[in-house]
Amino acid sequence: MSIIKLNNITHSYSNAMILNNLFLEFEKNKVTYILGESGSGKTTILRLIAGLEIPQKGSIFINNRIVTKGETIIVQPEKREIGFIFQDLALWPHFTVYENIAFGLKQRGKKHIEETVFEILEFFGLTDYSKKFPHQMSGGQQQMIAIARALVLKPTILLMDEPLASLDVKSKRKILKFISLLMKKYNLTIIYVTHDHREALKYADNIAVINKGILQESGSVEQIKNSKNEFVKYFLEY
Amino acid sequence: MKNNSKRHCLSTMIRQQNIRIIYLVTLILLVLFIVLPIVNVLGLTFFGVGFSENFKELNNDLLSLLFKSSLLALSVAFFSTISGVILGFILYKTNVKYRNFFKLLILIPLFISPYILAIAWKDLSFFVFNSIEYDIYKKYSYFAIILVHSTIYIPLSILIIGSSMTNISKQLEESALLMTDFPNVFFKILIPLIKPAILSSFVLIFIFSISEFSVPSYFGIRVYTTEIFTQFSAFYNHGLAVLQSVLLIVLCMILLLSEKKHISESTFLSVGTKGKEAKIYDSNRLNIIGFWIMITVVFIMICLPVIVLILHSFVDGLDEFVKAFNLLLPSFGNSILLALLGAVCTVVIGFVAAYYSVRYNQNTIDRILLFTFAIPSIILGIALIKFYNKPYLNFIYSGLGIIILGYIGKYSFISAKIIRNSLKQIPKSMEDAAKIQGVGYIKRILKIVIPLIFPAIYAAFIINFLFCLGDLGTTIMVYPPGTEIMPIKVFTIMANAPDSLTSSMALIVFIFTILLISILFYTFKKILTEYNVNY
Ligand SMILES: Nc1ncnc2c1ncn2[C@@H]1O[C@H](COP(=O)(O)OP(=O)(O)OP(=O)(O)O)[C@@H](O)[C@H]1O
Ligand SMILES: [Mg+2]
Repeated sequence: MSIIKLNNITHSYSNAMILNNLFLEFEKNKVTYILGESGSGKTTILRLIAGLEIPQKGSIFINNRIVTKGETIIVQPEKREIGFIFQDLALWPHFTVYENIAFGLKQRGKKHIEETVFEILEFFGLTDYSKKFPHQMSGGQQQMIAIARALVLKPTILLMDEPLASLDVKSKRKILKFISLLMKKYNLTIIYVTHDHREALKYADNIAVINKGILQESGSVEQIKNSKNEFVKYFLEY
Repeated sequence: MKNNSKRHCLSTMIRQQNIRIIYLVTLILLVLFIVLPIVNVLGLTFFGVGFSENFKELNNDLLSLLFKSSLLALSVAFFSTISGVILGFILYKTNVKYRNFFKLLILIPLFISPYILAIAWKDLSFFVFNSIEYDIYKKYSYFAIILVHSTIYIPLSILIIGSSMTNISKQLEESALLMTDFPNVFFKILIPLIKPAILSSFVLIFIFSISEFSVPSYFGIRVYTTEIFTQFSAFYNHGLAVLQSVLLIVLCMILLLSEKKHISESTFLSVGTKGKEAKIYDSNRLNIIGFWIMITVVFIMICLPVIVLILHSFVDGLDEFVKAFNLLLPSFGNSILLALLGAVCTVVIGFVAAYYSVRYNQNTIDRILLFTFAIPSIILGIALIKFYNKPYLNFIYSGLGIIILGYIGKYSFISAKIIRNSLKQIPKSMEDAAKIQGVGYIKRILKIVIPLIFPAIYAAFIINFLFCLGDLGTTIMVYPPGTEIMPIKVFTIMANAPDSLTSSMALIVFIFTILLISILFYTFKKILTEYNVNY
């Protein structure tokens, strides 16, 4: 069953066409990797799903509800039950770890904020760092904070924009394992962007390969492995 | 091609009501309160009575005055920019002793009103030539105008060029140093890389210098702006004054537009951004030469004028100094209040202009601010007076409102520029992350954006506070009679007062300004360290 549907999306920044008549669906409770070269439009797809970008054409559905239609945002980003881990993490440098995670809760007027934050900090093993600032943490810890910040609002969909790119292989593996744990705990659907096909083949349920804003192929890992598409074959070679 | 993206940004913006409202309200207020008066006065001049008589007054004599003024301004711009390159290099790219102290010290002349230095240098002429021959004095005056203007604008040039130098990443120079020697790297790599900064420094200083009239007027040298001022204040011929200044506006606009790209690209002041690591040339010889150059420059630009002022203030004992103090006393409070209000308004407007330009590519406010900034202060003043001198607008005309409007027109561009630089360093994702979490628009600005660029906001506040405090050009046109304002008081009294009284007043204003600068920079440093500890 598909939870997100991009229907004939066209998007351009200035004059450059980034996405052209894109159709793409994402299955519920699965990890789907979006695979593509740098500049192919991966981040743009995530931003469109989140409602941070308005397409020139096409519509987007989440849970069978239309959220973006043509040039209008119908459901605002914060109402889409989405967590977004940005490529640069976007941790607020002037807030402590605790404040980074608590900020969204406060804005939504939630109760028992402190308990909620510490519960998630504990789950991530970050309790001791609650008073530290992001720049005082290691790269891997910062990724964890970014993920915790997104998850504390209990999203159903997690969009991850290559947040682990700067990590060494071991830490990366550790976090990826952890993410699959999270998926079960929080009943998540994950869309994960990367240009590392090995990582995709290893951890994905489904893969969508895009090139220059055009979908080359999407499907299960097996399907992608046996693809006849020239670009997909070329991309998986290395 | 550009239009398309703009339309896209605009459509993004228009769909979000809160966003639209803040921008539109600011835009409408600016147009109504400042642009409209300017358009009005230009319209009156060209289409009102007396245009044809006034037009005949634009004769050769006037054109040769404009030529003379341009030459003076060119010399100032040239000299200041060259000095800016040399001193900027010493202060930002070598390891000169007391480098940070010099960086602060050298800023002082920028915040001292030009006439204070003019008084000092005129005083000096009395020490140097005992019996003043008119010819020598006149030659000296030209020299002194160039010197005083340069003293004021060199710091600006250092700020623009120095911050551009620090933005060049180390590798660019180092990879060249592997191939050739230092002079080649300097002229073939460094200078071309900072070309935008050099050009904008040159153009801006030219515009500042050609529009400044208090210094030539104090030295009794007739230039284009003093002529306009005379038409306005002695002959009450506003039409002619404006018509004359249209020539000046056209000249300034042509220059600005021709360098628009460079000016909008160049950083004026980077605050609190860690940036790339800049190459530092740490050689012993360079450091020693640099040190002595700095000592000489500081002596000529700051110490000498102050010494002369002190000597001159107390020639006739303490009396004149006390008298000057009593004269100025009532103006301190007013001046601070006005400068505070001016700084707050210009920073708020500068923030709106910068924010919408960086995030939504909306540059209309930015352009308006550039326009009102480039208009000579006198014209801005005349425009405001003409427009607000109506019974139903009297609350603005006869209050502090008209002065604040003048400040806004003159200085918002500067705060916009400083804030814009800092804003560009904040990734958009910082705001997007908050948006996804349901943080509203106003909250996002207040809790995320402003704290992140706070040092820049505070720096803009300090700089505009000091500019407003010393502003003479617009204020002298618009101040309601009877309002005590520091620069006006000195300027109106100094024409007829005995020298020692004038010098005393200049000295007091100087000390007062230094005091305020020290307080502001001290708090700024505290904020900056706190900011650096946190991030
Ligand atoms: N705000 C923007 N304005 C103009 N062009 C943009 C903007 N954001 C992205 N682009 C362009 O759109 C294209 C796709 O960008 P996108 O960020 O989606 O790529 P990506 O696949 O995420 O690349 P990477 O792997 O490098 O992150 C690129 O060519 C980029 O230059
Ligand atoms: Mg990307």
